[in-house]
Amino acid sequence: MVRRTAAVWAGKATGALSRLSGRGGGTTLPGDVARAIDPTVLRKLTGDLTQGSMVITGTNGKTTTARLLATMLEGAGLRVVSNRSGANLIFGATAAALRSAGPDGRLRADWGVFEIDEASLPKAIDEIQPKAVVVLNLFRDQLDRYGELEKIARTMERALGNLPEGGRAVLNSDDPRVAEIGLGLERKPLWFGLQDTSVASKHLPHAADARTCPRCGASLKFTAVYLGHDGVYSCPNGDFARPAPSVAATEITLNGFDSLEMTVAGTPVRLPVGGLYNAYNALAAFAAGDVIGLDRDFMAGRMHDFKAAFGRQERLDFRGRHLVLVLSKNPAGFNETLRTAVDLAGGSYFVLGLNDRKADGTDISWIWDVDFEQLAGKSVVVIPAGGRANDMAVRLKYAGVDASTPQTDPGRALDQLVASTPEGATVHLLCTYTAMLDIRAELVRRGWAKPYWET
Amino acid sequence: MTSKSKRFTVGWLYPDLMNIYGDRGNILTLVKRAEWRGFDARTIELPRGTTGGMEDVDVFFFGGGQDREQALVYEDLIDHKQSLLERAVAGGAGILAVCGGYQLLGHYYQTAEGERYPGIGLIDVRTEAGKKRFIGDVVVDAQIEGLVPPTLVGFENHSGRTYLGPAARPLGKVRSGAGNNGSDGTEGCLQGAVVGTYLHGSLLPKNPHLADLLIRRALTRHGVSELARLDDSTELAAHEKILQRAQPRAPER
Repeated sequence: MVRRTAAVWAGKATGALSRLSGRGGGTTLPGDVARAIDPTVLRKLTGDLTQGSMVITGTNGKTTTARLLATMLEGAGLRVVSNRSGANLIFGATAAALRSAGPDGRLRADWGVFEIDEASLPKAIDEIQPKAVVVLNLFRDQLDRYGELEKIARTMERALGNLPEGGRAVLNSDDPRVAEIGLGLERKPLWFGLQDTSVASKHLPHAADARTCPRCGASLKFTAVYLGHDGVYSCPNGDFARPAPSVAATEITLNGFDSLEMTVAGTPVRLPVGGLYNAYNALAAFAAGDVIGLDRDFMAGRMHDFKAAFGRQERLDFRGRHLVLVLSKNPAGFNETLRTAVDLAGGSYFVLGLNDRKADGTDISWIWDVDFEQLAGKSVVVIPAGGRANDMAVRLKYAGVDASTPQTDPGRALDQLVASTPEGATVHLLCTYTAMLDIRAELVRRGWAKPYWET
Repeated sequence: MTSKSKRFTVGWLYPDLMNIYGDRGNILTLVKRAEWRGFDARTIELPRGTTGGMEDVDVFFFGGGQDREQALVYEDLIDHKQSLLERAVAGGAGILAVCGGYQLLGHYYQTAEGERYPGIGLIDVRTEAGKKRFIGDVVVDAQIEGLVPPTLVGFENHSGRTYLGPAARPLGKVRSGAGNNGSDGTEGCLQGAVVGTYLHGSLLPKNPHLADLLIRRALTRHGVSELARLDDSTELAAHEKILQRAQPRAPER
């Protein structure tokens, strides 16, 4: 107990210092410090929760899904601990728990909602002992850091096999690699999936992976493709097929980045955020809510008032321009944000931010799997930005998109934006993680946005 | 306009399975650069079970895949594609093979346990499994006559160690990064019109001079000897950025 209290105090002090010094929100380092003093601190703290925890993982949509679940629980008057700032390694989860712990080193809260990086899932499940684990999707992402998709999938499968008694896996039936994991589990997962081919395409994008049957190796046949390689698929030899989702979304309507509507198991849901990926996020949150017994009409009501996390469709005004900031960090995500911006939101002004720091992935070859061709003939101004703006400019050239001079400095990118767009214009800023942070930091410095840990 | 001499065909081997590192960039670069010079350029896809049109291909592209996918193409490569590839190369067609594709074109791949998987032996290289994975930027001082600029840049991510036999020449010497095997300082191989390499990123978009070399060599058999010059300032600016970073770097923030 003494050790745990010391760990909590040391962690909390680190967080306060980090925020005071303006070096960031103290979203990870406190967890690091506390774990050094007591490696079991997260296990102990989450053990204090009166109701339990949920863990959200997958390549795309973790932050939004976790935020949806936290919003729903808080709306029910429950106290929620969550790593909201997207610090999703075990240290980030620990830091979040520390912030809510009292001076006696105890956590006084009802639920823990943790977004967890795919590679950290085994540790998270072991320490947090969650009631539900949501797996959203498994796309190609940051190959330099994680290695191949296959390796991550196997790690996740092992982790899900170690869920505690009463813990349930909540899985996306539309993702063949996630389905493969789920079908191998001893305890039957809860499957969620889209059931509306009017929002689907017939063809796989270039960025698709996981397209072969896990049993016989034949290429999977898709009758509908929703997002990346997520859709309705089956093995031509009958060895493998999409599991039937028991929580399904039907009657989906997408209104650009503004909103989306769908029906989940008979309940109409409306969200003030757009894009098909958010249909998946909301559906996943809905399914997890089902597992812990939340009322469906109540969940729909809370989703109606949802506010997106920083950089996930954040809207800011900047010198008479309306900025829409959308995190776009891998081919599956980028293709979808582009499609939403161009086709559904009618966007014609863009800043495309590409960085290659550790958090973005140091290998940027994935930009060649993104269909920037969607912008050709539809965009008026496209500004390549970020540390690898030059590479983005090359990509755009070969996509037939007439781009501006690449701007590696975020301040210059913003100046260029003002110089080349008319007042009142809506500008979509599609950026990788740290490219988004850089542009946001510049907007904060100029007084147009709040620091991210305050959002 | 579409007389036989103005046609340029890229053959993409296993586009659905061997496409892990943004390899589509290499295809786009070959096709666009031919198009910009007035060629009637097209891509034919060569997935498992397909060999149609291989005899018309000027440059093949063979990318990298995950282990699972690499195992899936192996049988098809030997049963269906090997002899047609040999014939194409003998007839002057070029190949760009990256990472897994590079390894499969060599004599064999030897696992850590000493098991040998034969490749198709189109190039005089062999690969052995290594423990440490080489990941990061690579700058190569090229040893290819007439290549301007005389450097190649890319990103590597491999644990295989590839060694060259006497019939294969390296593309060059690594200035930074590991290259073929991390020990002899070489990167890639050039044997006739076949280029094997560990560089992706994608490779050709940032190395337009290498793309043109592949196009030109393959087109000589159609009587094309010179390619019109293109404005490569955008591509070479991205190339230059990587060269600059290869200098000692300031510590990360």
